[in-house]
Parts: sequence; C-alpha cells; structure tokens
Amino acid sequence: MKRLSYGIAGIAVLIIAGLLIYRSLNASLVYFILPNEYAQQPGEYQGRRLRLGGIVETDSVRFDNESLQLTFMVTDSLQRYPVHHRGSPPELFKENTGVVVEGSFNDGVFISDNLLVKHSEVYEPPPPGESVDVEALKDSLQ
Amino acid sequence: MVDLSLGQLGSGSILLALVLALYAAVTGMAGAWRRDARLLTSARLAAGAVFLAMTSAVLVMEAALLSDDFTVKYVAEHSRIASPVWVKVVTLWAALEGSILLWGWLLTGYTAILAVTAPNSTLRPWALAIMQLAQIFFIGVSALVANPFSIVPNPPLDGPGPNPLLQNHWMMSVHPVLLYLGFVGLTVPFAFAMSALITRRPGSEWMTLTRRWTLTGWGFLTAGIVAGGWWSYEVLGWGGYWAWDPVENVSFMPWLTATAFIHSVQVQERRRMLKAWNVLLITLTFALSILGTFLIRSGIISSVHAFGDGPVGPVFLGFFLVIMVSAFGLIALRWDQIRDRAELDSVVSREGSFLTGNVLFLAMAFAILLGTLFPLIVEALTAEKVTVGAPFFDQVTLPIWLLIFLLMGIGPLLPWRRAEEQSLKRNLAWLAGAFLVSGGLAFALGMRKVYPLATVALAGYNFTSLGLLITGALHPRIRLSKRSPVAIFKSYAFENRRRFGSMIVHSGVIVVALGVMASSGYRVDEQLRLDFGTSVPFRGYDLTAVDRFMERTPGRISAGVVVEVWQRGRLVTTLRPRTNVFGQNPQTISTPAVLYTPKWDLYLNLASSIGPDQEFVVIRAVQSPLITWIWIGGLIVALGTAYALSPQTRQHRTVRGEEAART
Repeated sequence: MKRLSYGIAGIAVLIIAGLLIYRSLNASLVYFILPNEYAQQPGEYQGRRLRLGGIVETDSVRFDNESLQLTFMVTDSLQRYPVHHRGSPPELFKENTGVVVEGSFNDGVFISDNLLVKHSEVYEPPPPGESVDVEALKDSLQ
Repeated sequence: MVDLSLGQLGSGSILLALVLALYAAVTGMAGAWRRDARLLTSARLAAGAVFLAMTSAVLVMEAALLSDDFTVKYVAEHSRIASPVWVKVVTLWAALEGSILLWGWLLTGYTAILAVTAPNSTLRPWALAIMQLAQIFFIGVSALVANPFSIVPNPPLDGPGPNPLLQNHWMMSVHPVLLYLGFVGLTVPFAFAMSALITRRPGSEWMTLTRRWTLTGWGFLTAGIVAGGWWSYEVLGWGGYWAWDPVENVSFMPWLTATAFIHSVQVQERRRMLKAWNVLLITLTFALSILGTFLIRSGIISSVHAFGDGPVGPVFLGFFLVIMVSAFGLIALRWDQIRDRAELDSVVSREGSFLTGNVLFLAMAFAILLGTLFPLIVEALTAEKVTVGAPFFDQVTLPIWLLIFLLMGIGPLLPWRRAEEQSLKRNLAWLAGAFLVSGGLAFALGMRKVYPLATVALAGYNFTSLGLLITGALHPRIRLSKRSPVAIFKSYAFENRRRFGSMIVHSGVIVVALGVMASSGYRVDEQLRLDFGTSVPFRGYDLTAVDRFMERTPGRISAGVVVEVWQRGRLVTTLRPRTNVFGQNPQTISTPAVLYTPKWDLYLNLASSIGPDQEFVVIRAVQSPLITWIWIGGLIVALGTAYALSPQTRQHRTVRGEEAART
C-alpha cells in the first residue's frame, strides 16, 4: 500500500514537472531565422524573442551620437527589415558583413538588444545582381 | 646517436604510456581475477611508470611551447613567439589536444597516487584496474585520435597564438586545471563503486575508502566552476558571470550529481540504504563529465568557447556509451545485492531530507541536460534552428534552488530515522521566525521581487539553522565541562572536522546565493556616452573620461580610455577599460575595468571604438550589487572543504574508524 502511494505520488510529481518544463522550454525557445523566413509567417514570430541573421545593407547604417541608437537594414537579399539597436556599433561592425541580432519584431522593426558580428570566412557576399544561396548564408551565420 | 625531435619524443612518450597502461590494465585485471599478488604488484608499479611516461609527454610539450618549436602541430596551431612565457605555459590547455593530454596526465597521476597510497583491500585491485582502463582511453585518444605531437612537414615561422579570449586573463591558467582535477578526482569513487559491484561487496566500504577523494574532487570542481564564472566576469564584457552556455552547463551537471552523491553516501553509511542510488549517482557524475566533453568538443552544440569539431567528439560519445552500458549492466547483474531492504521510517528525518534533496539535485541536472540538448532535438525533428534562452534555465532552476535551501536549513537539524516531535517543533519555530524576520526586513528595506525576497528570507533561516546546530552541539558539552565556552567550541570544531567543515561549506553556499540573487535581481546596465572632460552621472557616481591611451606589449596592442570615478566630490578611483588585439587575429577582445566594493561593483566596458579624432566614447556601465560575495562565498566553500579534509591530529586518528560510522 505504502509502495503504491509513493509510486503514484512520484508519477504525479513527474507529470507536473514535465508539463512545467515543457511549457517554459517552449516559451524560451529562441528561433534563428533570416528576414525571408520572417516574411513568410510574421504572425507566428510576432512578439517572440528571435535571433535574426543577415547582411548589413550598404548605405543603411546610421548612428545617433545623442541617443546612442544604431539603425541599419538587415537583408538576406530576398527580404529586408530595419533594425534598431541601442548601443554603439561594435568594433568589427561594417556594411556588407554578416550579423546576428537578438530581440523581437515590433511593427515590422526589429528591436535588438544584442548584436553579434559574424566575420565568417565561409560566406562570401554575392556580386550585385546575383541571388544568394539562403541556406549557405544561414549556415555561415549560425 | 639519433637526433630526436621534440615531436618524436612526445609521440614516443605517449606511445610508451599507452603500452604501459595496457600492460597495467591487463595485468591488474588478471591479478584481480586470479588473486595473484605478484601480478597485482606489477600492475601497481606499472601505474607509476605510466605516470612517468605521461609526465615526460607533458614536459616535452611544455618544452616545445617554450622553445617555439613549430614542427610540433599543436605548437604551430596554438602558440606564438611573441606571447609572454605564462601564456606559452598555459597554452598546454588552451586547445583540445593539449587539454586531453593534461586530463590524461592528471588521471595517470591520480592512479599512481592511488596505487601507492590506497590501503590494501579486496576492492583495490579492481578499482585500480578500472582507473587504468579509463586512462587507456585518454592516453589512447592522445596517441591515436588527437595527437598534439604530430609533426608539421613545412613548419610555419610563427603561429597564430591561442584563442585571444584565453590569453586575456591569468584566471585562464587556473580554471581548466581545477575543473580537470575535479573530474579526475571523482573518477576514483566511480572506480571503487564498480569494484564493489564486481567483488560483490556493495556495503559502504567503497565510499568510506574514497571519501577524501570524493570531497577533494568535489572541492576542485566547485572551485573550477566559480573560477570560470569569475573569468567570464572579467573577460566577456557584459558584466555577468553565467549565461547558461552549454560549456557552463556541462560542467555544472556533474557538479549537481556529485553534490547529491556527497549527501546520499551519508545515508548509506548510517542507515545501509540507497546502495543502488549511490552507485547510480557516481556513475552519472563520471559519465556526465565525459558526455560534456563530447557535447562541447564535437561541435554539435554551438557554444561560446567551442574548440571546433573533429574526430574527438564521436570517440568521447563512444566512451560515454561504454561507461553507461557497462555500469548499468553491472548494476543490473548485482541488483539482488544492492536493492534496498530497509524502508524509510519517516520522511521527516535526516535521511528523508537527504533523499528529497537528492531528487531535487537530480531533477535540476535533468532539466539542464534537457535544455542543453533541446536545440539538437528540435533541429533533428523540424530542421528549425533554435537556442534555449537563459529564461528557461532560470525558471526551472530557481524554484528548485529555493527548495534545496529550505532543506539545507532543516535537514541537518533532523535526527536520523525519525524526528522527535518536541525538538522538531522548537527548531521549526526558530527557523520560521528567522525566515519571517529576515524576509520582513528585506521587504521593509524596499525589496519587492519574489526570488530575491525569498533568498534573503532563506538566508536568515539558514544562518539560524547553523546557529541552532552549533548551540545544540555545544550546549550539553558546556553543561558537563568546566572549560570556557570558547575552548569547548574550539575542541568541537577541531574534533568534528567533517561536520564543522560542512557547516562552513553551507554558510559559503548561502553567501554565494545572496550574491547571485542581488547581482542578477538588481543589476543596472546602461550605455553611456562620455564626452572627454565632461562628467556623466551613473548610480551615485560621476564618471569623467579624461584621456585615451595606447599600450604595446609584445604580442598585444591595447587601446583604452582613462575614466575618473567620482563620488560626492571625491575621486574614488581611476578605471581603464580597454580593447586588445592579439597578433594577427582580427578579433578585438575587450578588457573591462571593475571597481570592486563590498556593496556593489562598478563595471565599465568599452562599447565603441576610440578614434583619435573622436571627442567621445561609449561605455557600457554595469552596477551589480553584492556580486563580489559570489567569489568570497566560493572561497568559503573551498576553505570549508579543505577544513573537512584536513588531517586529524594524532590522538584522533586512532578513532577515525569509529568516527566514520558515527558522523
């Protein structure tokens, strides 16, 4: 009898713990996506924490000295989105380099609180006019 | 005479060590099987020879590093002429092949010490044989899979140097060694546990014999993890020390199972219960340390400090599977002998609280494992790339920690078997009072966040528990003796090293908890624009960037700003955050500057480049309350562990056997 009740109690605890873990795991998953993936189903990613990868578009970088706000366009050459990042550009940040920003979308603008520069040797930006291999881009940024 | 290169000498040493280790393992097992004393003695001597051969390999590697011998692959890939001497020395463990060589060397050292010092018992032959099997794995990986001594046909004139992150702080020379000493130390109780199963002696003998090894290993692992946190704090530049990065998680999981093990062995020693559980815990501890190496080194999980991929990962995975299958096979084979026959008398007892605590430690380890592996599972199932954010780990571990702190206060106050109602009620009243008073005080002082409030309340509760434990132990002694209370306290602390050491460790844990709570719950993190010569307020300080500087040392170029820190019109200190470039590596590494104070740290990190024509810099300023107490608490834990391990004076040594059964 004692054994049985211990067993039932144990299983109940496990089930509850499992549910709790699953819920918080699901809530804290951070998806790594490219701009075109966001464009396909913006509803699914709305308000979620994301890691958005892409290339910093040429002539799009602005840094406001007063508010310390960095804005630029991130692109995978299929889609482009504006990024607002609070903080000054990191040392290796420049146009046409790979970046990964972490944050979430708000009305089509990506609000970032973490900016990583990926100076990957694998990925070469394509010459103008040619399309990029999106999968290769994603792998090089990961 | 043949002129040997360092690479050949090193490879030769490792091969010699491998041959000797194979000989030692085969002779040891044959001797254990046939109970042949001569074979066993030969195996023990061979353990010393293996250690000497590995020592020679390590010395050759150091010689190659210090003499910039770029014909040796490891040196060519990870060292650089311009590095300072200490960086060259620690480059031994700055990359994968060298780390495995170091791990293997430490393991052979422990095996040799064990072969010489372990008392002659029925368990010793198989325990040594298992240590020797484990060292074959590490030496074998060094010799065949990741040989650091491979010879480069066209040696470069100079190498790239170690990972810039690793040459940026002296802590890097300490942290990995501490971790490996921890992992290797915990191999000893695992070997003895397996030996106990093989020889059908699943009593508490194996854990009594290895108690010092277990505690030593645990102490080093703890120190290694805390040191790693401090390294992150001083190097990574975001003002934190723990990011739930896979590399951190995989060192933390064996720590959790080892901590559970340290507590549950006492239940077996006292109550002859939990035999199978203890074997399981030490197996998991050992296996998780190997699994961790696989996860990080195989490149299947991306991590801040991944060493990259290679053939080493699968080999470690294979070793992990071998350990799990053979250990669980043995457990199944001996199930009849290790099954618990005694039942728990009451949950409200010392063993009840230890068991509950054990379940919590294991649940936390499991949740962390799940969080660490989840990205792999998701990617395998859906091809989506995900990471599990820090919020998951916080949400899961914080409540478990609070429950553990709750048990940590009440558990040691409960007697074995069954608590007596009257003393239980009195103790509970004290504890509840302390919980409410300290929690209320924190609330009155303006704290409103749930976890920090609970942590403060539990800290008061736990310190009261320690007070009750000490007064409870001293009270009868003071009544019966004419000596002064101070003298009685001294002799109590002196005679009960294990018990008193555990109290020191627990108090250190509370100090760490307070530091973690305050620094993460009340951290202020801002980007500040500092115009040269103009002061900017930040959390009661006035920060003024007065100058910029440039430093060139051999192998490093640094640029930074001089920031004066003023408080109420008084100059407190001058901080010099900087960024560094090491050699040809384009990566810039920042070195934050920290003002350490007991109340909070002021942490400044350069967030922008410093051009000569630019009239301002951007600084990341972080204020973390009580964060220094994490390092102090870690030190208290280490000292408490050392105290529990310190040798008894002569007159007490004679009664150690009895004491083992008593405490």
